[in-house]
Amino acid sequence: MKGVGWIWASAILFVASALLLPWIGSGSISMERVLAKAAPDYPIFVELRVSRTLLGLLAGGALSLTGSLFQSMLRDSLASPYTLGVSSGAALGAVITFALGLDRLVGSPAAWAGAMAGAAGVLVIVAGASWKRGQLSGVRLLLSGIALNSICSAFILLIYSVVRDRRSFSITQWLLGSVDSVSYRALSVFAVVVVVTSIIIITQARGWNLLAVGETWAGSRGADLRRLTITGYCCGSVLTAGAIALTGPIGFVGLIVPHLVRARISPDNRILMPCSLLLGGVLLAACDTIGRIAIAPAELPAGAVMALIGGPYLVWLVRRRF
Amino acid sequence: MSNLLAVRDVSYGYPGHPVLSSVNFPADGGEFLVLMGVNGAGKSTLLDIIAGLRAPHSGEVLLQGGSLGKLPARERSRRISHLPQGTRNELPFTVEQVVLMGRYAYADRWFESDEDRTYAEDAMKRMDCFQFRGRLYSTLSGGEQQRVLLAACIAQCPHLMLFDEPSTYLDVHQQLQCFSTLAELAREGALCIAVTHDLNLALAHCTRLLILDRGTIAADFAVEEAAANAEWLPLLSPRLRMTRTPEGRPWVLYQ
Repeated sequence: MKGVGWIWASAILFVASALLLPWIGSGSISMERVLAKAAPDYPIFVELRVSRTLLGLLAGGALSLTGSLFQSMLRDSLASPYTLGVSSGAALGAVITFALGLDRLVGSPAAWAGAMAGAAGVLVIVAGASWKRGQLSGVRLLLSGIALNSICSAFILLIYSVVRDRRSFSITQWLLGSVDSVSYRALSVFAVVVVVTSIIIITQARGWNLLAVGETWAGSRGADLRRLTITGYCCGSVLTAGAIALTGPIGFVGLIVPHLVRARISPDNRILMPCSLLLGGVLLAACDTIGRIAIAPAELPAGAVMALIGGPYLVWLVRRRF
Repeated sequence: MSNLLAVRDVSYGYPGHPVLSSVNFPADGGEFLVLMGVNGAGKSTLLDIIAGLRAPHSGEVLLQGGSLGKLPARERSRRISHLPQGTRNELPFTVEQVVLMGRYAYADRWFESDEDRTYAEDAMKRMDCFQFRGRLYSTLSGGEQQRVLLAACIAQCPHLMLFDEPSTYLDVHQQLQCFSTLAELAREGALCIAVTHDLNLALAHCTRLLILDRGTIAADFAVEEAAANAEWLPLLSPRLRMTRTPEGRPWVLYQ
């Protein structure tokens, strides 16, 4: 099968990023000292650099895979966790937990629960508004998603203005969409979530291909529409909520990576989805690394780096492809 | 021996807006049915119900004596294929990828088997689209796209094939080729049911005509009786007149 080589190539790039990116940063780290577990190199390397790199790889992968999933399910090249309002919903849920002071830590169980509830809530509202006569309309879904997106952003701003203490600073930082180091416990939970949901999604790749043509088409080729739709939205919101709770609303990666892979590698979801997962992770981790060194000692959030590099590229791609 | 297909008392609709009421007909392999009727008569809805894509509000569809609603989706799709109307034309896939989608119900593995590829290749040759198998679907003309979709339906190897306006966008020669292929599939033992508005194309190829009028079957006859039973023509338009070709086949004139 043509294209399987690309999956291997993406996997190699993914592993290489995990091994190499932690060594890059504003302060130089000596490999000898890290191996000897000597301070400060070892704690910086393990507590900050490695966990950030892993978070970037996992969150970028989760958001890109969700983007390619939603684009196929909705047959719309604009669909992504961001345009459906799912990421704003997750962000709002997490911000509420910060504001209530439930937990200050990014990636804490409270923030996760909040993000999950927000993502699920938005998805239920958006899907409910778009459901008519037993079918989901893509246009309604996108329009109500964009509406929900604005509503959630407005609430986030409202909460932000009302909360006047230190908490507003942590909200600001988080809202910028930064890949900060998180605890290894949160990371390992997230890693399990990403692996399990990705397997569920990717093993249905042929079903997503059929849905990308049309619902009637998929139904008469033998796809179980109800099961696919429920699986897709559940897995998509779990991945989005998990990533958003840890990194803040980084939306762009979910839009740009699937387009890039579709245009350059393959539109077949059996190739597209694994490549999106792996390359999305590489891209976000790389953007975070660039943000770490570009204006050192200050840092640029990964979301901003992504927008600055990815935005022009997407415009160029759109101009060539559509 | 039960019929391949039996539509029993099928009704469908919304309060105050019935779409189908008590539709009844049996059909068997070897038949090429053409379903005709004015816009909004319920043709596409009936095809969707026979395809198992919508459940009738009352009545049932029997496939080889068993209830269609009880078949799992994959099982159903090995027996029935359906060509929907108005598939979007911006598909990002190649022609071959689209045709291979017809094999979804068979392949248990991650990628299609050589057998699947052989069926897809034969179907593409049959629908005259093998020569552009590597091209992107979105770069084809409307008629070429339609042939690709038809090839996918054929690659599915079902007993029952449903086509919602299969000749849309096809040029005259391809329309004739398309209907000849459907007639051929029926002669090979499949049951083909097609919706079309082209009367003479239908009369020249099908074995049986069904006329749907306001949600009920208003006429159901073998094509040989079409000329004798010309009273069905006004159901479609008052401006039609039945004649015969010099060879004696029924032919409809427009007035």
